[in-house]
Amino acid sequence: MKTGKPQFNTIRLLENISIGSAVFAVVLCVLIIVNYIQVKRADPLNTPAMSALVEKLQNDPGNEQIRQEVRTLDLLARKAFFTAQWQVRTGGYLLFISILLLVSCVKAIELMQVKLPDAPYGKPALFWENRILKRRWLVYSGAGLFVLTLLLAWLTHNDMGKDLETAGNREPQSVNRDAGSGIRDQGPGNQKPAAGNSDSVKASPDSSSNILHPASDYPSWQEVKLNFPSFRGPGGIGITERTNIPTSWDGKSGKNIKWKTAIPLPGNNSPVIWNDRIYLSGASESKREVYCIDALSGKILWTSTVDKIQGSPSQVPGVSKETGFAAPSLTTEGIRVYAIFANGDLIALDMDGKKVWAKNLGMPANHYGHSSSLIMYRNILIIQYDQRSGPAVMGLSGKTGEQVWKTSRNVKISWASPALVNTGKRMELLLSAEPCVACYDPLTGKELWKLDCISGEVGPSLAYAKGIVFSVNEYSNLSAISTGETPKVLWENNEYLSDVPSPVATDKYLFLLTSYGTAVCYDAAAGTKYWEHDFGNPVYSSPMLAEGRVYIMDKKGVMYIIKAGKEFSMLGQCPLGEGSFCTPAFTNGHIFLRGDKNLYCIGK
Amino acid sequence: MPKPVCVSPGLTVTPLRKTAGTFMLTASATLLSTMAMAIQRFPKPEFESAYTQPQTQIPLPRGEFLAYLDVFVLFASLCLITWLVLKKRSRFWVFFMSLFSLAYFGFYREGCICSIGAIQNVSLALFDHSFVIPLSVIAFFLLPLVFTLFYGRTFCAGVCPFGAFQDLFAFKPQALGSRLNTVLGIIPYLYLGLAVLFAATGTDFIICRYDPFVGIFRFNASFGMFLFAGILLLSGVFIARPYCRFLCPYGVLLNWTSRFSRKHLSITPKECIQCRLCEHSCPYDAIDVPVTTKSPETRPAMVKKMMMLTILVPFLVLIFGYTGSRLQETFAGVDSRVKLAKEVLALSKMQDAGNKMQDDSYEIKAFKASGKTESQVYSEASAVLKKFYVGGWLFGGFIGLAIALMTGGRMLPVYRTDYVTNKGRCFSCARCTDYCPVKS
Ligand code: SF4
Repeated sequence: MKTGKPQFNTIRLLENISIGSAVFAVVLCVLIIVNYIQVKRADPLNTPAMSALVEKLQNDPGNEQIRQEVRTLDLLARKAFFTAQWQVRTGGYLLFISILLLVSCVKAIELMQVKLPDAPYGKPALFWENRILKRRWLVYSGAGLFVLTLLLAWLTHNDMGKDLETAGNREPQSVNRDAGSGIRDQGPGNQKPAAGNSDSVKASPDSSSNILHPASDYPSWQEVKLNFPSFRGPGGIGITERTNIPTSWDGKSGKNIKWKTAIPLPGNNSPVIWNDRIYLSGASESKREVYCIDALSGKILWTSTVDKIQGSPSQVPGVSKETGFAAPSLTTEGIRVYAIFANGDLIALDMDGKKVWAKNLGMPANHYGHSSSLIMYRNILIIQYDQRSGPAVMGLSGKTGEQVWKTSRNVKISWASPALVNTGKRMELLLSAEPCVACYDPLTGKELWKLDCISGEVGPSLAYAKGIVFSVNEYSNLSAISTGETPKVLWENNEYLSDVPSPVATDKYLFLLTSYGTAVCYDAAAGTKYWEHDFGNPVYSSPMLAEGRVYIMDKKGVMYIIKAGKEFSMLGQCPLGEGSFCTPAFTNGHIFLRGDKNLYCIGK
Repeated sequence: MPKPVCVSPGLTVTPLRKTAGTFMLTASATLLSTMAMAIQRFPKPEFESAYTQPQTQIPLPRGEFLAYLDVFVLFASLCLITWLVLKKRSRFWVFFMSLFSLAYFGFYREGCICSIGAIQNVSLALFDHSFVIPLSVIAFFLLPLVFTLFYGRTFCAGVCPFGAFQDLFAFKPQALGSRLNTVLGIIPYLYLGLAVLFAATGTDFIICRYDPFVGIFRFNASFGMFLFAGILLLSGVFIARPYCRFLCPYGVLLNWTSRFSRKHLSITPKECIQCRLCEHSCPYDAIDVPVTTKSPETRPAMVKKMMMLTILVPFLVLIFGYTGSRLQETFAGVDSRVKLAKEVLALSKMQDAGNKMQDDSYEIKAFKASGKTESQVYSEASAVLKKFYVGGWLFGGFIGLAIALMTGGRMLPVYRTDYVTNKGRCFSCARCTDYCPVKS
C-alpha cells in the first residue's frame, strides 16, 4: 500500500477547499440573513421619497414630469425589492452548494485519512456513580417538567370551555342578547315578545325586515317567534305570541273574511308564514307544487312545480285519503322555504320560488303516507323520517341540503311532527314514536334522553310548557314528562286520548282534544282533570293557543274558541264554510285557515 | 477488494477508499454544475415587460404505482442496509447506502413520505375511522419497526434521510456525558406524545409542520425552518445526529423495539478482548462499558427503592395525567376549529359591546360562507376541547410513565464483561466495528 506524499497533498488541498467553502458558507449565511431582514422590512411602494412625489403629483396632477419620476422610482423600488428576493434565493442555492462542497471534502478526507482510534486512556467511567446521578437528574427533570406544566396550565387557563358552552347556549336567551346589542340590526326582531302566552306584542311581523345573523345567515330565535315558520307555530308546540287575533267570522256571509284563495292542488299541510308571505304545498298522484301567497291580498305570488328531482321514485306512494300526498307542512327560516312530499321528494326554494336544491330521501315506507312536518333550527332543516325501514331523524344544511347529522332511531313508524323547545338551559328537539318520547340536540342530533311511554301508530305531536312535555296517542297513554337531565313521567292518564290532533299546554293547563271532538283540560303539573266538553264533531286539526284562548277547528271547518282556563268557557263558534283538516296559522290581527279547497284570511 | 494490511482496518487507507474519495468529489462537482444550471432556469421576473400571473397549480397526487415503488425501495434498502451492517459490518458501505437514501427519500422524494411522519397518519386512523390511511403509509410506519425488532436500528443507520443528512455533518462529535444524554432523552417522549395527541384529535401533523429538513430537501424552507435546520446541522458538527437522539419521536418506538432485537450489531464479531479501542468510537454515546463491579447500593436498599418506584408509578402517571389534562386549553388553542370558535366568540362579544367591526379575517369569511351556525362552531370547538381533556390525561400519563420507567430502568442490576452496543440507542452505523481489532 502506498500512502506517500501525493496523498498528503490531496488531503491538504481538500482541507483548504473545505475551509474555503466553510468561510464562504458563513459569509453567505450572514448575507442571506441581512438580505432577508431587508426584504422583510422593505415596503417599496411606501418609501418617503415615493410618498413625497405622490403628494406633489396630487397637488399638481397635470405635471407630466412628476408623473414620469413616480414611474421611474416605482420601477426602481420594485426592481430593488425583487432583486433582493432573488438574491436570497440564489444565496440559498449557493449556500447549499458551498455546504455540499464542504461536506464532500470533509468526507473525502475522512475516507482517505483514517483516524486512529483513541488509545485506551484513563479509568473506565464510574458506572454506578453515574447511574445514581442519572436517576437523580431524571427525578429533577421530571419534577421540573411537572412544575413547568402546571405553571403553564395555570397561566394559560381562561375557562375557554365554559365560554364556549355559554356562547353555545346563549341563543335561547337571545332576547336579552339582541336588544340593542348591535349583533343584529335594530328592528322588529329585537322587540320584546309577549310575556307568557297572553300578553300582547306590539310588533307586527308583517313589517319585519329580514334580520339575519351576520355571522351565519340565520334568523334569531326571537325573529322566528315573531313569525309562524312551521306547523303549529314557532317550535311546533301549538302556541303563538301574535295578538289581536279575531274571535268571530263567518265564511258563508263573508264576515271578517278578508280574502279567500283557491289552492290549485289539494294538501293537508297547514300554512306557514314568514313576514307577509304564506307558504303551502299541494300534490296529486303525479304533480307536486309549492305556493307562495301574499298575506295582504291573497294573491298567489308564485307556484313552484316540484319535479325532475334526482332519485324521485316513479311509483305513486300508497297514502290514505285522509293523509294525501302533501300532508307535511313546510318550514322556512326567511331565506329559503322547504317542502317535503309523500314520495320523499324534498325541495328548498328561495323566497322567489326558485329551486336552491332538491333531493329524494327515499320512498317512505309508510302505510298511511308520510305526514311529519318539517322544522328549522337556525339553518338546519330537521326531518323526522320515522319509516318502517331505517327510522331516523336528520339535520340538513338549509343552504346546501347536505346532511349535517343523522341519528338512527329504534322506533316504529310515526306520523307526528318534531317539536323544538327552549328549556331555558338548552334547545331540545322532541320526537314522539312508539315506544318512546325522545329528546335530541338540534345542532348535532345527539340523543339527550328518551323515555318509553307511548305505543301504537303515533299521530299527535307533542305539547310543551314550563319544562313539561306532553305526549299522547290513541290506545296508549297521555303522559306528562319533566324534561332536562333526568326526565321522568310526572303523571299519566288514559281516559281521553287523541288519534290525530296534538295537545297544547300553558304553564298551568293542558288542553287535549280527541279525534272524535272532546276537549279536556288538565292541571299541567298534577294531571287533575278540570273539565271536558264534547263539540260533537270529529277534529283532525290541532288546537292552537293564542292570547289566552284555544282555537279548535273541527273537520267541518267550525272553529271553537274557548278560554284557556280552569273552567270551560266558549268564547266563539265560527264556521269557515268548508271542511278542514289543517291547523290555523297566525299573524298579528289575522288567522289563516286552509280549508279543503281554499285558503282564508280572517281579520277584522 | 484488496485486503487491509494493518492490524485494524480503521488504520488502513485502501485503494477503494481513495477511489471513493475521488468519486465523492466528482459526484459533488457534477451536482454543482447541475444546480448551477438549475439556477439559470429560474431567471428573475422582468417587470418591465407585461407580467402575467402564473396559474395556480394543484400538485397531482403521486401515482399509486410510484407509492408502491417507494415501499419497494424502502424494503430493498432495509434489506441491503441490514446485510451491510450485520454481515459486511462495513461503515464504508453503510455510508454510501445512507447517501443513496438521502438522495432518494430526501431530495428526490422530498422527505415525504417518511416513517417519522407516518406516526401521525396511523394515530389519526386509529382515532378517526373516517380517515383512510394508504397502505404505503402503513408500510412506511411498520417496515422499519419490523426490521428493528429483529436486527436493531439499521433503518437509522442508512435508510432514514434525516439521519443520513445529519450524519454528514458529524465532523467533530463530542461525548455529551451520560447524564445530559439521559435528561435530553425525555424530549423525544414529549414530542411523540404531542405528535400523537395533535394527530389523534385531528388538529395538526406537528412532525411535518416542524420538520427541519423537509424545507431543505425541497429548497423552499421558510426562514424560521431554515434557521432551525441550520442550528441543528451546526450543532450536529459536535453533537452527532441531534434530531435523531433528542427529538425524533419515531426514535422512541425504534428504541423500544430495538431492545428486543436478537441479531443486533455487536462491536466485535467474536470475543471482546477488552482492548478498549472502541470505547470512544461511538459519536452517539451508545457503547455500554463492561460492568463487573458491584453496585455501591446494597441489594436491600435497591429492592426498597424499586418497590417504592413501583408504588409511585401509578401516582406519577396520575399526577402527570392531571397536569396534562390541565393543559387542555393550551393544546386546544392550536386547533383551527377552536381558533375559529374563539374568533367568532370575540366577534360576537365585540358586536355585543357595540364596538365597531373590523374587516373579517379570512377564517370568519370562510365560516360565513360555509353556512355553519355559530353554535355549531362552538359545539365543534367544545368537542375538540373535550378530546384534549382526555388526550391531555393520556399524554401526561404517558410522560409520567416514561419518566418512571426510565428511572426504574436505571435501578435494575447490571453485569457485563464486554463492551457492547446499547441496543436502544445504537443507530447501527457500524463505526465502532472499524475500531475493533478482532475480525471475523
Ligand atoms: S454501531 Fe452503534 S455503538 Fe457502534 S458507533 Fe454506531 S451507533 Fe455507536
